[in-house]
Amino acid sequence: MKKRQVISTVLATAMVASLGMTASAATDVAANELAYTGDLEIMHYSTSEESEGNGGSDGFRTVLAAWDEAHPDINLVQNVLANAEYKTQIATLAAADDLPDVFLLQGMNTKDWAKQGLIYDLTDTIKASPYYADYNEGYFTPFTDGDSIYGYPALTGGTCTVVIYDKAMWAEAGYDTFPSTWEDVEKASEYFNEQGITTVAFGNGGKWQANSCFLSTLGNRYTGPDWFLSMINKGGAAFTDEAFVKALAETQRLFTETSIFNEDYNVVTNEDAREYFISGDAAAFIGGNWDESYIAATLGGTEEEEGTDVEKFNNMGFAVLPQPADATEAPTSQNIGLGYAIAINAKVAEDPDKLAAAIDLAQEITGPAFASYVAEKYALGGLTKVADVDLSSFDPITQAFYNWSYVDTETCEIYDSYITNAVWDVLNTDLQTMMNGEMSPEDVAANAQAAYEANY
Amino acid sequence: MLNAIKPKNRTIVMYLLIPVAMFVFTVFVPLVTALVYSFFEWKGGPQKTFNGLDNYIRLFNDATFWEAFGHNIYLVVACIIGQIGIAFVLVLMINSKLVKFKTIHRTFGFFPSTIAAVCIGLIWNMIYHNKYGIINWFLEAIGRKDLCQVWLNNTDLVMLLVTIPLIWQYIGYYMVIILSAIAGISTEIFESAEIDGANGFQKALYITLPLIKNTMLVCITLCIAGNMKAFDNIFVMTKGGPGTASMVMAMYGYQVSFNQSNMGYGSCISVGIFVLSLLVIGGSQALIKYITREKEA
Repeated sequence: MKKRQVISTVLATAMVASLGMTASAATDVAANELAYTGDLEIMHYSTSEESEGNGGSDGFRTVLAAWDEAHPDINLVQNVLANAEYKTQIATLAAADDLPDVFLLQGMNTKDWAKQGLIYDLTDTIKASPYYADYNEGYFTPFTDGDSIYGYPALTGGTCTVVIYDKAMWAEAGYDTFPSTWEDVEKASEYFNEQGITTVAFGNGGKWQANSCFLSTLGNRYTGPDWFLSMINKGGAAFTDEAFVKALAETQRLFTETSIFNEDYNVVTNEDAREYFISGDAAAFIGGNWDESYIAATLGGTEEEEGTDVEKFNNMGFAVLPQPADATEAPTSQNIGLGYAIAINAKVAEDPDKLAAAIDLAQEITGPAFASYVAEKYALGGLTKVADVDLSSFDPITQAFYNWSYVDTETCEIYDSYITNAVWDVLNTDLQTMMNGEMSPEDVAANAQAAYEANY
Repeated sequence: MLNAIKPKNRTIVMYLLIPVAMFVFTVFVPLVTALVYSFFEWKGGPQKTFNGLDNYIRLFNDATFWEAFGHNIYLVVACIIGQIGIAFVLVLMINSKLVKFKTIHRTFGFFPSTIAAVCIGLIWNMIYHNKYGIINWFLEAIGRKDLCQVWLNNTDLVMLLVTIPLIWQYIGYYMVIILSAIAGISTEIFESAEIDGANGFQKALYITLPLIKNTMLVCITLCIAGNMKAFDNIFVMTKGGPGTASMVMAMYGYQVSFNQSNMGYGSCISVGIFVLSLLVIGGSQALIKYITREKEA
């Protein structure tokens, strides 16, 4: 009997120790003392599938798990949906005034939801955060209404518009690097078309891609950053302003009058278009950081995995959107930012202990634990700055993308992180028609302006 | 004897109350609340502002909504002809004495209606795909590469292209309904018609159709109701695009409510769909009754 007791004690100790080891192997979150006990709901879109190859999602899940473990008295209830479903679900819950305790707030919903009193004003909390000195303050802008801040920018700051190209294919076409002007891309397209290869793959089947991953950067090349700031602050700028209409006209010209892009750009999604690049059907691809991580993970996987192509992986190059001939602003700009922030349901404030727990959670999943994890494992950056990221342990492609994203390029805003989705939905639908050559840039601008005046 | 096993009236009412309550809660209550919300400016969240008939005035002048309504009517007409028409012809063929393995035909005919609309959308997306799709492959194989195109990006064709999968999916469904109706017709009538020298076409037109008139009416009503609320196949295939070229009313309502967070106007669109569907169904039934009555006279 005694022997059995000893064995079971040893086994139990070993089990507890192994659990402890797992915990310490995960990211260290500050295990702050919290008075709250009970359920704390969080809704997010970092699914396990998403986290494979996506550093931001992986970091989010890892830190969330570590926080959950560090607070055994709090029952963290997670509702995890894929991104597209998440957006619909959270809009429905907001309409029903039934938001979860903690959730991810999209920049463009901030002003509307703040006005409705749905989200808790975090201004003082953020300023009192122990990590405040390390925050990238610019990331808070989309989640600000007046002087109030409504969220801790979450996940990783990544570009929404990057040209990923195959250096070897472009070298064959006579280009050492990706061209910096659309004129040169047009010239190169003659060569690629002869070879039966698409010059640049792009997918706008979901209707949002042309806005987020193209126009938002191309527009900045015509209007400069002040125009969009004026749009955000209702400072007198309009979608019908000449510079913006010129950007629309150039977008239409590039898609309808040149043979640069895959002919099904308006039907396939970015997920389909990046496969054209991976398979070698296209020499370049335009998409966001999420596409880059997918392409890199697919091509650079281990030998046995399907789709792995180490040579192609090593030939990956990154470039900014080429400059149009008549554009005068910021030729090396790319739109980068954090599209979502951790926000707290205003109702949580009714229970101060629960509010403290929710704030602690928001602070930790955007704090140094998360930042170090994604910096060390993926060479990605988030809200909290990490000093001296050691890039030497990464492969050259990851290093190149880090430098391209955070060091070598000028930044501009992501349009649909701001204003309101009632405007972007109208613009996105019209953009698709315009890119088929069936609507004039002037009409697109006029409709967007009407939606802006009616809804913002 | 019958009274002895018959449950008390109260028991019957109690049992019946459950489905009625469920119906009221899931259909009637949302309908009434949508009607109430349609008079408000409601951009999501707890704040709603009463704005009278503003939403309805906007709906009346909303070109996209009426374009979408036009697409729904296109779907209704195409599907009545395609789904019920083809189903009727197929049933006559299956019922012919020359056809063997009738059960197999029936089973495989019905098979597509059991597949989820999302899967149907994905399957047909592959068929229409410009690089890997079977249509462009076939055109290339017969040397007509000039006809290859990005099918779902063709504004003029896109409504037809999203209608074809819908027709394909539901032929079997109407086939089963029409088959069961025809099974109820006495074979003696057909035999005497054959003795009189009636051919297949005459039998179909003068015997079968008049005798299953009521079933056909039900089929047409089901078809109209189904197509006035069409959503899923088209959402998967084109999301209403390019632009609004394949937008249908339900999708527009969804887009306004959830993508644009305009719940008040979205509710107004739902009420619009409800009223227009009732009008179309009522109108078509009156029309059919009028046509058939004239023939009887």
